[in-house]
Amino acid sequence: MNQKFQNIDRIIEENGTSKKSLIPLLQAIQNEYNYLPEEALKYLSEQTSISPSEIISVASFYKQFRMQPAGKHLVKICVGTACHVKGAGLVYDSFRRHFKLPSDNDTDDSKTYTLEKVSCLGCCTLAPVVQVDDITYGHVAPDQVDQVIEDFESQQNKKEAKKYRKADGSEIKGEIRIGLGSCCVASGSGEIEREVESVVNQNNLRVKLKHVGCVGMCHQVPLVEIVPNEGEPTLYAKVKPEDVRNIVESHFQPPGVFAKLKNKILHFAEDIQTDRNWDGVQRYEISMREKPVASFLGNQVPIATEYRGIINPIDINEYIKRGGFTAIKKMFSELTPDEVVAEVKNSGIRGRGGAGFPTGVKWEFVKKEKSETKYLICNGDEGDPGAFMDRMLLESYPYRVIEGMIIAAYATEIHHGYFYIRAEYPLAVKRIRKALEICRENNFLGKNIQGSGFDLELTIYEGAGAFVCGEETALIASIEGSRGFPRIRPPFPAQSGLWGNPTLVNNTETLAQISYIIREGADKFNGIGTLGNTGTKVFALAGKVARGGLIEVPMGITIREVVEVIGGGIANGRKFKAVQIGGPSGGCIPAEYANTPINYESLSEMGAMMGSGGLVVLDDTDCMVDMARFFLSFTQDESCGKCTFCRVGTKRMLDILDNITTGKGKPEDLKELEKLAEWTGKGSLCGLGKTAPNPILSTLKYFRDEYEAHINGVCPTGKCMEMITYSVNDECIGCTKCVQKCPVDAIPFTPHEKHSIDTELCIKCDACRAVCPVDAIDVK
Amino acid sequence: MITIKINNTAIQVEEGTSVMKAAQQMGIDVPNMCWHDELEHFTSCMLCLVKDSSRGKLFPSCSVKAAEGMEVITDDEEIKEARQTALELLLSEHVGDCEAPCQLGCPAHMNIPLMNRLIAAGKFSESLEVVKRDIALPAVLGRICPAPCEGACHRRTVDESVSICLLKRFVGDEGNAPEIIPAISTGHKVAVIGAGPAGLAAAYYLQLKGVQVTLFDKAEKAGGQLRTEISRELLPLDVLDAEIDLILKSGVDFKGGKAIDQEAFDQMTMDYNAVVVAAGTFDGDTNRFNLKGTAKGIEADRSTYRTSAENVFAIGNSLRTSKLAIRSLGQGKEVASSVWQFLNGKPVMGERRMFNSRFGRLVKEEFSEYLKESVVANRNHPESGGRNGFTAEEAIAEAKRCLRCDCRAIDDCKLRIYSDSYNADQRRFKTSERRKITKLDNHSSIIYEPQKCIKCGICVRLTEKDQEKFGFTYIGRGFDIEVGVPFNGELESALTDTAIKVAKGCPTGAIELKEK
Repeated sequence: MNQKFQNIDRIIEENGTSKKSLIPLLQAIQNEYNYLPEEALKYLSEQTSISPSEIISVASFYKQFRMQPAGKHLVKICVGTACHVKGAGLVYDSFRRHFKLPSDNDTDDSKTYTLEKVSCLGCCTLAPVVQVDDITYGHVAPDQVDQVIEDFESQQNKKEAKKYRKADGSEIKGEIRIGLGSCCVASGSGEIEREVESVVNQNNLRVKLKHVGCVGMCHQVPLVEIVPNEGEPTLYAKVKPEDVRNIVESHFQPPGVFAKLKNKILHFAEDIQTDRNWDGVQRYEISMREKPVASFLGNQVPIATEYRGIINPIDINEYIKRGGFTAIKKMFSELTPDEVVAEVKNSGIRGRGGAGFPTGVKWEFVKKEKSETKYLICNGDEGDPGAFMDRMLLESYPYRVIEGMIIAAYATEIHHGYFYIRAEYPLAVKRIRKALEICRENNFLGKNIQGSGFDLELTIYEGAGAFVCGEETALIASIEGSRGFPRIRPPFPAQSGLWGNPTLVNNTETLAQISYIIREGADKFNGIGTLGNTGTKVFALAGKVARGGLIEVPMGITIREVVEVIGGGIANGRKFKAVQIGGPSGGCIPAEYANTPINYESLSEMGAMMGSGGLVVLDDTDCMVDMARFFLSFTQDESCGKCTFCRVGTKRMLDILDNITTGKGKPEDLKELEKLAEWTGKGSLCGLGKTAPNPILSTLKYFRDEYEAHINGVCPTGKCMEMITYSVNDECIGCTKCVQKCPVDAIPFTPHEKHSIDTELCIKCDACRAVCPVDAIDVK
Repeated sequence: MITIKINNTAIQVEEGTSVMKAAQQMGIDVPNMCWHDELEHFTSCMLCLVKDSSRGKLFPSCSVKAAEGMEVITDDEEIKEARQTALELLLSEHVGDCEAPCQLGCPAHMNIPLMNRLIAAGKFSESLEVVKRDIALPAVLGRICPAPCEGACHRRTVDESVSICLLKRFVGDEGNAPEIIPAISTGHKVAVIGAGPAGLAAAYYLQLKGVQVTLFDKAEKAGGQLRTEISRELLPLDVLDAEIDLILKSGVDFKGGKAIDQEAFDQMTMDYNAVVVAAGTFDGDTNRFNLKGTAKGIEADRSTYRTSAENVFAIGNSLRTSKLAIRSLGQGKEVASSVWQFLNGKPVMGERRMFNSRFGRLVKEEFSEYLKESVVANRNHPESGGRNGFTAEEAIAEAKRCLRCDCRAIDDCKLRIYSDSYNADQRRFKTSERRKITKLDNHSSIIYEPQKCIKCGICVRLTEKDQEKFGFTYIGRGFDIEVGVPFNGELESALTDTAIKVAKGCPTGAIELKEK
């Protein structure tokens, strides 16, 4: 017995025996055993003061915890928004078929693979994305599952598995995009393209060449854009043929030198966001890139993302060299806490977590509380399926967020703070941990920071997977070691938060903008954006735009500017239909309102929301009812279950949408859906439930005709599987490609004859349509 | 002290008082289900929503403290709709029957499960007392009723329905009729025309309420069609006479051999405070006492049986011809309530039926769950065969086959009470398949039916507060959240000292005392 639980004894010793250690304890146990064995939990309850009900309550609440052993390898299918609109659902189904999984099990018979849906892997530009253990596969088509698994297995015995791969096994490191708008062509981009091809072929680089249309920067042509798998693209303007080799080689290493440059490349693969080692490129940039893309493409303004692509995340000296920590130096020498609060109030900054509460006012509330113990929490529990700005900020600018926290703590007289970071963000946790260590060593944390007399300790708390924990009262419950049930406000955390003490909870992005405000002054900040909506906002731009990624734009920028100028317009010549802003709390704004400025109020008026900052662009092939269903199924799944309206209301709305998208809708459903949406919004306890109906209400408002079409039996875009059938049209040349691809033998082998699809057998996996060389598959 | 205004009336309450408690202090009923006096507020059921009248926003009053100058509305239309919607959402995931389907199926709504339980316990006379609350002629009906109740019986889905009708006959035959304690006379006088099943029942229940009933019939003897249309073999005279005698003994003044013509009727409406017409089928266009009629008979309100004349009520075949004696008997019982309300100057509403949660048919996976409270046995038939009744042993064995489908919380379930008062419609959100019912009965004093749970967490919080070693806990989250015992432990180990408190605290019938 003792032998068996030795590890648990050690885990308890490392993590503590009180309730507040419960989540870290469970995380450590799962780390040890790959799931939470019942015996282990029983032993845990015997050895600690934590009761069995508390253990089960928490273990069964958070997504991270498994009560059953998982397979040896974990297959994560990203079903975030960007992947969803690019067909992740079909990929997921295809994996289920591949592993022959029954509906109630996610692990295959051999216990080798466990399938898991994840909300966002943060590689939206590679959508749809699948991660097998730590290898990421991008652009995975439903019929490539065999190849993915085959390739993954082929990588198992190799020492250095390449982390980004195409489904056919070739490693992809990124994409090179060449502008082929008419201006580009006129300026000689054809020549550039030939040069790029020659460099790529010579070096045997595994990159994708892609042509992009006009990006509205015709004065800068020809354009070459380098898009690494993760992180941000770099756009080179006015490229000359002789520059091409330099540009390409500075981004991509030929495979031959891989071993030699192992360390360097590992560094690259791991730290893609900003750790690029620009040997010689710095100089090159000055002559070639008139300005980095960020500053002239669509008026982006980097504040939270200042020096992006330039600074090394954990190099504190580089941070300092680039103006880091000057804000706290200025603060400690010139400003009283009251003055700091006043400055933040004057800046007009509002909470970037979504609701937009004025940050300075919140600080003032906490400051007013005369309590011995107060806490500061950096809310990094981002869970929006398709937004990953918090992760990026924590990974790439750890010191900037820490500096923001020091300022917040000083202003509100707090001496202990937490980073609440999702456990799904291991790199963010690692970076912050390292950064905290270095800050302590350099006296940016700890006692008497920089001789100011001010003390601050910061610790990391890893969230265990619950979207609702982004809500501050649920987040606090989570740190206290409970399930993430929100509670009513008031009392607000500012009065009674963590363990009943006044607590300041700020979003990561908010904190990342604070040092700028103090360093540059409130007026500089509030000079950006518009009245009442000052400063900038980071968005994860994804979906059907030519260029997706993280952007930081001034408040008040129009949707059109974001989509057309920054995003480069709609890819593949499709029509711009709508943007979904704010993720599961937000809504869809149709293209005809593209001139709407992006600010808290105007988005709310349109039925959307700033939310967490997901900005997904939709084209005319996207079904709006399916979008509403997608977001609602997310919130329904993430509802904590505490209050009636959210627990049952979201489920019933999803039921109705399920019925509508499977051809079982009734005309009266729309009225009921509206009514229920209204009540779920009005009656729910916390923000999750209150905003859950937004995706439905906004699509009902702007795209009611699509709902009506579904009720009449037609999904206009052919996205809703139950409502469509596949058939072969007269274009068919009898090439049998579809026959070979069909996983269920629904297409008889009839070479040189027009093929046919047995609709009884067809599972609508779309493989035939994708492979058909002559567009002979109709989906109606 | 803090002053707040609730529904435009100011009240002073102590600091820290919740808005709900403040309203209750004023005698305003604020519905609530997740609130428990021994516990902190929890804010789950959302029934206690009230409105902040300055901002027009709804908030849960159990969890918000009264603040100086607050103005609150507790009962406008929007609030009612909020509560109704909350109830309908809860009902959509509440899988259980309030009254058993047999009772709902019985036109007289007799409490069949209770009858069965008392028979099973050998308490035949108590059982008869229960039957006679709704059915005035049990032994008679036990012989002639086509038993719609048995068609509705859940046991029928499992194997064969419980032999309800014969059980009723058994208690009618074997039980000692409840002693009639004459009610204090109210001084009211009511004439009932027609001594068939409807008239007899009306007379019986009115008389029990302290009304002096005079029962008229054109025949010399009471019984109506029971006496004339049914074979003696099926319904022996001595059985009929004995049960009619019991009714007449309650003090009913029976005047046989008196056909009532228009003149006599008009006189009656003046001599008596009210008249109940239970005179059977009116042939063709014969005079219906000048009352408004339909093609089928006298026109009367469907739930109060009141006719076009204020003090005249009509029941049974005089409304429309039916061969179902139990329907007439049921109407006789119900009209007694309407007449009683009329006599006492109350609004005439008839016998109001409470809200009933229903889940439909049992499915296969549920048979074993329901059998936990029953026995595995085929339907019993009287051994002596033919038209004979059960022996006591047979009756007990058959009664034990009852699945106990009625809810133990039938009288005090808050979900039922509020659903009734807010007119909730359980079918509104019937948008997907229901959950399968399970019953956890491995506990000496309580039974737990998780699918009736509304996730208010009172049990979880009570066991936590009283430091049960295992207790109840929340398992999972969202719509699939469940309340259960950690590590799939036994109910017995989860609830030790708190069992009774937890059962009493449960606002629905999810956790109940077995003995109930």
